[in-house]
Amino acid sequence: MPLSLPMLTPLLTPVLALLGLGLTIGAVLGFVAKKFRLENDPVVETINNLLPQTQCGQCGYPGCKPYAEAIAAGDAINKCPPGGETTINQLADLLNIPALPLDESYGHPEVKKVAFIREAECIGCAKCIPACPVDAILGAPKYMHTVIESECTGCDLCIEPCPVDCIDLLPLEPYAAPIKTVAELNEEEILVCINCALCVDECPVDILPHELYWACRGNDLASAETLKLMHCIECGKCDRVCPSNIPLVEYYQATMQSLNTQQADKKQAGKAKQRFELHQQRMEKLKIEEEQRRQKRAELAKKGPRSQTRDTILAALERVKSKKKPS
Amino acid sequence: MTDIILILVGAILVNNFVLTQFLGLCPFMGVSGKVETAVGMSAATLFVLTLASACSYLVFQYLLLPLGLEYLKTISFIIVIAAVVSMTEIIMHKTSPLLYRILGIFLPLITSNCAVLGVALLNINQSHSFAQSVFYGFGAALGFSLVLILFSAMREKLALCDIPEPFQGAAIAMITAGLMSLAFMGFSGMV
Repeated sequence: MPLSLPMLTPLLTPVLALLGLGLTIGAVLGFVAKKFRLENDPVVETINNLLPQTQCGQCGYPGCKPYAEAIAAGDAINKCPPGGETTINQLADLLNIPALPLDESYGHPEVKKVAFIREAECIGCAKCIPACPVDAILGAPKYMHTVIESECTGCDLCIEPCPVDCIDLLPLEPYAAPIKTVAELNEEEILVCINCALCVDECPVDILPHELYWACRGNDLASAETLKLMHCIECGKCDRVCPSNIPLVEYYQATMQSLNTQQADKKQAGKAKQRFELHQQRMEKLKIEEEQRRQKRAELAKKGPRSQTRDTILAALERVKSKKKPS
Repeated sequence: MTDIILILVGAILVNNFVLTQFLGLCPFMGVSGKVETAVGMSAATLFVLTLASACSYLVFQYLLLPLGLEYLKTISFIIVIAAVVSMTEIIMHKTSPLLYRILGIFLPLITSNCAVLGVALLNINQSHSFAQSVFYGFGAALGFSLVLILFSAMREKLALCDIPEPFQGAAIAMITAGLMSLAFMGFSGMV
């Protein structure tokens, strides 16, 4: 049976009604989208602050900022070997996505290292200086160079340009290690905390040792810090009253060590970030200057060979002529 | 005034949408990992639910009823809700980009949150007036926020605890939610 107009009329009202509704809503949404347009994404900056700022490029991006931009656009968070597990966990926490194990194809997490120049062998070629992303190499052409240890991020970008292979990466002495790590303590413990709170009455600095214990046990550094971990004076009174014989102070010491390491790394990363930005500005400026010089030379070359010398001769003749005139 | 208060108490405690009527369980499980995220989600849901129940009331009363198109209410409510959610998304992306990222897929998923459509349809079924509809939506959202934030606070603590391996993750979350639901049964018959 062919469709005819009278058959379609009952359909007309609902179709038009929904169409009108849709159009109105579309117009409103369009207006809101225009009014609330987002210019630059501050998420990138937050992600960048969590990255270790070694600027090593092991992730496949030319620095930490570009990788932060890539993460904000949806790239995987497990491509940063220098940051290792800590960085991945922080990123996962920030972005509320599951933490992945480090992608080993981008490199292995290693002990923190710094570059060291064997100064007797350095020929002063200055090739490593522009290669350093944080400007941590000091020196001038034909003079030996040295690395500022506290600024070096151990990225190994200076190794490759060195023509005489006089740069070594030496492992940095780690921060004072705890007697046992939290993982080791978790392994050996037999009795669990029963939240009896006997330790709370004992604590001379008014922290909640049992709450703090749970935070330390779960490696939750942020919670441990808010529970005043750093106020602990390690007197050991909580240890003595604990009916489960939990080595509370050992837990606190291990967590304090991780917290200190984390804070020191963060400070270092902040410094490296600043230096990297300055380095980039400097490189940009050098590039522009180089370009200008090249243009100048090209202009001179266009005037013909030895145009410069000819100009000088003409100018000299002019001077002689003007001197002769008055006499 | 009393009926508004009754509607609010009823929606928040007695007929709590999550724990008594079991609506909107997806975000309840999905974004309750951290308190901050839960607060963000609650704010977004509060905004969407209140606005969507007002808009759907208006659409039903002034568009569908006069034209005799009551049977289109589900589809038009879905359109209205989707529009309100998109608007929330755009506004949130501008005002709080980090929260926008954290909520991720759960923000657009408010559209398919059955609590939102549930409120709109229940408003019609119970023939609420405009003010009653708005407060019913607001109360439903407050109830949702209350249990979501309570639940996320509990989950934050649970994350640090010694949970036997078979119960870790979603299992203990489900058990916790069940116990909370049992507790909320205590409110039944209050209004």
